[in-house]
Amino acid sequence: MAGKWLKISVLIMAFAFILTGCSDESGGEAGTNSDQTEITLGFYSSGSADEKMNELIQKFEEEHPDIKVKTQNAPYQQFFQKLDTQIAGGTAPDVWLSDGVFVQKYAERGAAKDLTEWINEDLEKDEYYGLDFNKDSDGKYWGVPQGIQIGALFYNKDMFDQAGVEYPDESWTWEDLKEAGAKLTIDTDGMKADDASFKPDSVKQYGLTFFNITEGWMPVMKSYGGGVLGEDLRNSIIDSEENKEAINYIVDGMERGIFTDPSDLQAFQSPMSPFPSETAAMRIGIYARTLAANETGVNYDVTVLPKGPDGERFSPTIANSWVISESASDEKAKAAWEWVKYWVQEDEVQKEWAALGEAVPVKKSVANSELFLESGDKPANKQAFLDSFEHAGTLDVNAVWSEWVKKFGDNINRAFLNETSVEEALENADEEVQKVLDEFYENQ
Amino acid sequence: MKNPNRKRKIISYLVITFSALIMLTPFVAAALNSLKSYTQYTAIPVEWIPNPFKWENYIEVWRMTDFAQYGWNSLVVTVLSVLGALFSCSMVAYAFARLEFPFKNSLFVMVLGTLMIPPVVMIIPQFIIFKNMGFLDTLVPLWILEWLAQPFGVFLMRQAFLSIPKSYEEAAKLDGCSPFQTYWRIFLPMCKPQLATLTIFTFMTKWNEIMAPVIYLSSEEKFTLPIGVLSMSGAWFGKEQYLVAAALMTLIPILIVFLFTEKFFVRGASSSGLK
Repeated sequence: MAGKWLKISVLIMAFAFILTGCSDESGGEAGTNSDQTEITLGFYSSGSADEKMNELIQKFEEEHPDIKVKTQNAPYQQFFQKLDTQIAGGTAPDVWLSDGVFVQKYAERGAAKDLTEWINEDLEKDEYYGLDFNKDSDGKYWGVPQGIQIGALFYNKDMFDQAGVEYPDESWTWEDLKEAGAKLTIDTDGMKADDASFKPDSVKQYGLTFFNITEGWMPVMKSYGGGVLGEDLRNSIIDSEENKEAINYIVDGMERGIFTDPSDLQAFQSPMSPFPSETAAMRIGIYARTLAANETGVNYDVTVLPKGPDGERFSPTIANSWVISESASDEKAKAAWEWVKYWVQEDEVQKEWAALGEAVPVKKSVANSELFLESGDKPANKQAFLDSFEHAGTLDVNAVWSEWVKKFGDNINRAFLNETSVEEALENADEEVQKVLDEFYENQ
Repeated sequence: MKNPNRKRKIISYLVITFSALIMLTPFVAAALNSLKSYTQYTAIPVEWIPNPFKWENYIEVWRMTDFAQYGWNSLVVTVLSVLGALFSCSMVAYAFARLEFPFKNSLFVMVLGTLMIPPVVMIIPQFIIFKNMGFLDTLVPLWILEWLAQPFGVFLMRQAFLSIPKSYEEAAKLDGCSPFQTYWRIFLPMCKPQLATLTIFTFMTKWNEIMAPVIYLSSEEKFTLPIGVLSMSGAWFGKEQYLVAAALMTLIPILIVFLFTEKFFVRGASSSGLK
């Protein structure tokens, strides 16, 4: 009896191995012959865009019969967890798509390949947006942009019309925005933010929805002349007069109920929903936010972000990029470079990806063509995204970006929620962010 | 005599019904959300009742992803894990509960000690081991660990075996049972509630697991349900309602398993399993 059951369980195990194990390895190998280079390509899924990605990969294989591409994808957050594990385990994909804010993390930890030489040789640098966002302080390039996210001001035309407020334009300062925002903020009794009996605790319609880094404090602080990190990206410059002024501006807006504060956002199904659901008249939004707004059919347009008190403007930019693995063999790295070139150089690829409406095309000629500017859906003024490149800047991205963003965010949110004074929040943030930076860079 | 009893009953039923309603609210809200359009999904103030009911959201989910394939993978992983957990945990637990061998207690403390190591710490070493064994991008790493007696299950089964009087074992011995036979024919049948508990726990953790599948699986056709569902959301698109629909569909198997094992599960929680 006992023996029989032991045997059965061994059989189950054996069967399970066959069922779940390396069963199709032989099948997979059959397709590759010896003069083909097989590369693995990792990317994070973005819903229906995956289909397009696979299509483009197939076309690439047809045009490059000597290269075979194996894909690896995962949901956004998990993709990067997996990637970190793979890098530690020595099995990173040969080329992967990195969120723009992580490129330096891989570069400074030796996981990404230095692409400077190849870029200098093969790419006409002026033809592309965002190449320089992957350049480090030594002038080395670590990635090639796959699609660009750049911030602009979204505004709901219907709500502006209703309130009788003029549409925003490039002359606006942040103060103008607040002034207009006050007229667009309505509480549950129908009072506006400037009215004496206005109740900022029961707002029904906000002037501006304010969401964390890119679409929140970063553009305001930068256009006020402040910022988080100094030029070398190794020192905090948080505790400055400019930042104080910028954060005071934001806190005041939140106190008056014109801007959403972090706790307001929690009341919504998704922190992204106030603009597409017409609960906020304006938002600071990257290009991809047009997708949700178009989905709900809001009547909106975009313009460049407002100026700071000294006329300075800042458009936050994220260049999601292709990164080639440092551990890829020469042969594989070269094949991976072919893919990167194919992606940025081929008009066809750029056009097909642009048609998804997910990002601003990397290739300037395509971005400035009708295909992008006139593409059917709203917003009408897509040119505003391209104009924003004049004031484009990164989010002070360095190797420990996620770590310091968390420290800064925790502190600044306390100020936004009125749990502490602005001065104290900035002082604390300065100290904590500097500690994160020192811990990493002093051991370099 | 009858009246106060009745009153008490009515009150307790009211309390039960009320708390059941509270517990149900998130599920009902999710079910309603899954039937909305995105405009309604994000509407403020909240529109509770979908108008119109978009049943096609569920069809859309099937269209958007390879739901059936992911479901099958999840099922394979989960069933193999449950079998493994039941078999290995109960065997190891029996040894710790009933057999005599050197360092038994220190070994058991060590087993319990491993419960305190956070799983994240073990990811990279495990990844490297499975890589060297050639198990990357296969389902094997997702279930094989359950065949190696996980500490929670060992602890649970050991407690169950400990509560069985020694006389059963002695009687079995007199009848000529080997230790394995005693374990298999006497002890296991007496611990059905605990086995049911272990089944549900293992099923739930494995069915919902995200971390390990993401790390070990690379080809889309091998994905399990949770990754498949997350993958369809994407970072940018206004399509959260489909995500909710997909999440609800993945709940169904857990409900089925619970319904089948509930009888034992409830008994396991309320009595020691001995009459």
